[in-house]
Amino acid sequence: MIDFLLEIGFEDFPPSYLNKAASDLTERVEVLFKKERIFYRTMRKIYTSRRIGVLILGVARKQKAQNVEVQGPPKKFTYDENGKPTAMLEGFLNAHNLKLSDIKIVRTQKGEYVSAIKAIPAKDTDDILYYEIPKIIASLEFPKTMVWNQEKIRFPRPIRWIVGLLDRKPLRFKYAGLEAERYSMPNFHFSFEPIRMEKPREYINFLRHGGVVVDPNERRKIIKNRINERAKLLKGEPAYDENILEEINCAIEYPDVASGEFEPEFLKLPEEILKTTLKALGNLVWVKGTNKFICIFNGRRKAEDNVAQGYARVLKARLQDAFFYYQNDLKQGIAKMQEATKEMVWLEDLGTIYDKSIRLIKALKNFEGLTDLNMDVLKRAAELCKADLFSNMVREKEFTSLQGIMGYYYARSAGEDEKVAIAIKEHYLPAFSGDKLPRSKEGAVLSIVDKIDNFLGAFIAGQRPTGSYDPFGVRRNAYAIFNIFDAHNFDIELLPIVVNYLKLYKNDLDKNLIIEFLTERIERYLEDLGYRYDEVDAVLYNTNFNVYDARLRCDGLRGFRDKQEFLQLVIGQKRVHNILKNIKDPGQVDTTLFEKPAEKNLYQRGKEVEEKMAPLFPEKKYLEIMKLLLSLRKDIDKFFDEVLVMCEDKNLQKNRLALVNYVHQLFLKFADLSRIVIEGEKDKNNEKQKT
Amino acid sequence: MSARKIITFENLIFNLKKYWQKKGCLIFEPYNSEVGAGTFNPATFLRILGKEPWNVAYVETCRRPRDGRYAENPNRVQQYYQFQVIMKPTPDNIQRIYLESLESLGFKLKEHEVRFVEDDWESPTLGAWGIGWEVWLDGLEITQFTYFQQAGSIDLEVIPVEITYGLERICMNIQSVSSIFDLKWNEEITWGDIYRENEQQFSQYNFEESDPERLLLLFKEFEIEAQNLFKKGLILPGYDYAIKCSHIFNLIEARGVISVSERAKMIARVRALTSEVARLYLKK
Repeated sequence: MIDFLLEIGFEDFPPSYLNKAASDLTERVEVLFKKERIFYRTMRKIYTSRRIGVLILGVARKQKAQNVEVQGPPKKFTYDENGKPTAMLEGFLNAHNLKLSDIKIVRTQKGEYVSAIKAIPAKDTDDILYYEIPKIIASLEFPKTMVWNQEKIRFPRPIRWIVGLLDRKPLRFKYAGLEAERYSMPNFHFSFEPIRMEKPREYINFLRHGGVVVDPNERRKIIKNRINERAKLLKGEPAYDENILEEINCAIEYPDVASGEFEPEFLKLPEEILKTTLKALGNLVWVKGTNKFICIFNGRRKAEDNVAQGYARVLKARLQDAFFYYQNDLKQGIAKMQEATKEMVWLEDLGTIYDKSIRLIKALKNFEGLTDLNMDVLKRAAELCKADLFSNMVREKEFTSLQGIMGYYYARSAGEDEKVAIAIKEHYLPAFSGDKLPRSKEGAVLSIVDKIDNFLGAFIAGQRPTGSYDPFGVRRNAYAIFNIFDAHNFDIELLPIVVNYLKLYKNDLDKNLIIEFLTERIERYLEDLGYRYDEVDAVLYNTNFNVYDARLRCDGLRGFRDKQEFLQLVIGQKRVHNILKNIKDPGQVDTTLFEKPAEKNLYQRGKEVEEKMAPLFPEKKYLEIMKLLLSLRKDIDKFFDEVLVMCEDKNLQKNRLALVNYVHQLFLKFADLSRIVIEGEKDKNNEKQKT
Repeated sequence: MSARKIITFENLIFNLKKYWQKKGCLIFEPYNSEVGAGTFNPATFLRILGKEPWNVAYVETCRRPRDGRYAENPNRVQQYYQFQVIMKPTPDNIQRIYLESLESLGFKLKEHEVRFVEDDWESPTLGAWGIGWEVWLDGLEITQFTYFQQAGSIDLEVIPVEITYGLERICMNIQSVSSIFDLKWNEEITWGDIYRENEQQFSQYNFEESDPERLLLLFKEFEIEAQNLFKKGLILPGYDYAIKCSHIFNLIEARGVISVSERAKMIARVRALTSEVARLYLKK
């Protein structure tokens, strides 16, 4: 048994690509070993900011041997009349390196054939790795790559060395102008001298001496311990989570720790400013509630004082800037910032930011009916919500993410109601997919209206999303609208609001474009909640994008989905759908034209159900509604069994179609069940079912 | 703090010039018109095009009208110095060469942290972008390190590296001062002695006294001049006017009077000029 080390060394990698790159590499090497039947004991994933790799212990020198059956020519062509092997048989033997004594005759479906068991010689592991490892490296994919030399190989950063060491032998395959060798590189804070390895087992320790902890899990643990120990010393609690830990882990090779302070007066800054400033400086962790920070750095212990002082100096300058902006903003006041919104164009031809806030205020009317909604608070918040875009703070690149949050502070300092300030703060939420939603009702409504304004504005400005192109985040905005409606149980149809909103823009954008877009978004939203696409399809029929209502209808469907009766009902509705498909005006039912009891019965039962359903709709008792509709199944089946709809008598036929339509409309009040897909049948089959 | 000998601003420049001269760079001089970065200097923008090897180092005076703070902010000024290095093709051990340049300035790597922070550089007006990093020394950004991929909207045939040192930043660290104005230029004269008045006057001009309408007019005139020169095959004088457009654009932007989309349009107009320069230069 021998060992294998693969290490790809590069200049400092984008931290966000690192873990995936190392995982993909390890996985693909593992697949290779399995596919090629190379035995190994353990496999370890390696990554630091300057290398990815895999260390495999207990590797077999050769593949596992394998016998395969090979099939030759048909029996009748194997020997000539003299009993000598034919050219065809000779050819087969030569091709597979077999002797006459190796072959036998087997029966197959096509007749009798020559066959033989052939031993495939086990290839050497180093041969396989020599050819296959470069292919694996080339197969790695990244969001963004570059070229750096005339080889024109693409990778996120220049590859500068490759270790490919099998036992004591370098593999010497070539990639990106380099040869896989036995030399790795240390942390540059420690040395520039290559680290020579006789065999892979030396890797972890030799590199540790070179200032590199190659195992990411071990390194993460060290980072965590160092932060915690230092925090203890500083008598505080460090503000970090697993994400921050991994970000730090991906940016270094060897963790050491320093700590420093900033002037206590900066603690007067809102916590969000403090945190944003610290975060922009990379590996700084705030000690909660104090004026102290901990810095995980990538270097030697000797550097601790310089690192502590250096970061403290930069932090001080940044906090001074922030403090200066913040003080100036407070002095200036939110009213003046709001004035400035009148001068800044939002999107060309779509007016200023101020115009935008006027639109928001007008659109609030749509929500007037909601209980517990303070319209005065809402109007005020809409007026002020964009003002902080003109604060010194938010105009700084580093602090743009604080939009809304700064608005909160500036509104409060101007004496605005806490609720107004909160709505301002929350109206940008969710700021990214997976972010938290507005909690206050006012914040929720303002956020919805702002997002409607955003996505319509983008549409009007010709920035509709296509493919991966969505510069205004229009898709995310629309998704968030549904998310907020639903989370707050707002029982409101979105479509009329959007159509009204277009008037505010004085634009005659094609309504169908918007409907198509919103349909795709609401489907995505509901499907993300776990509803099946056909369920969503069925209920969206007449909800006008009331997502809250659509979700409850989906629940109603869900309750019956697996029942046999339900399936029969769906089949029935598909039939009805097809019958009615080409009928333009089915007209009214004329009870005097009923001929058979089944007709009369169905009509009466329909009337019963209609009456019972009516009060259930406002209460959204969709399970009960579904139950009522389900109770019609027998009557419908009976009708179709006993009554010929497309009969000769045109008057009778018309009346029967009207009856079918009447029942169909009852169902449509709840959902279009004909859109439900039945197992073993694709939704296209809708078309094929002819009556 | 280690007992590092104080290096004056002028000596910092001498040291870097000597270091890169030893590494095979031609020591060049700044461009003589307002530029936002050393990249605009023809010794970078034009020479990185094509296949011929080119190694050069020079100081560039950079104008960033929007960054002025009336000499009231210790870290922000509207004019400062870059030390620009271009090596084409890029030596394989360029990261080491760069790190050793820091050692040559007295920063022992054992006693500091040098961090390469992912930052892909882009200049929309030059139609140029590259992959690289901000280099942080103990948390302070001191260098932009970029492998150019495109310039003048053209894929580069040979990949150059651009290393841009922020001279004042580095010097502030060396001299342990917290204000750019306190930097010792030589033993007697500070950076502030030379530039305080300059910062005040230019800040006032950039933010208050420039005439946006006239600037827009100038922009248009310079643009036409550049286009006319291109038609006559006079690429180099034409490039001069493209650079002037870029500076005028920066001045207009400092006034904060253009909308996001207008801004994008003006950038596209400058890029059209610089891309034309690149195209014609390569054709020659």
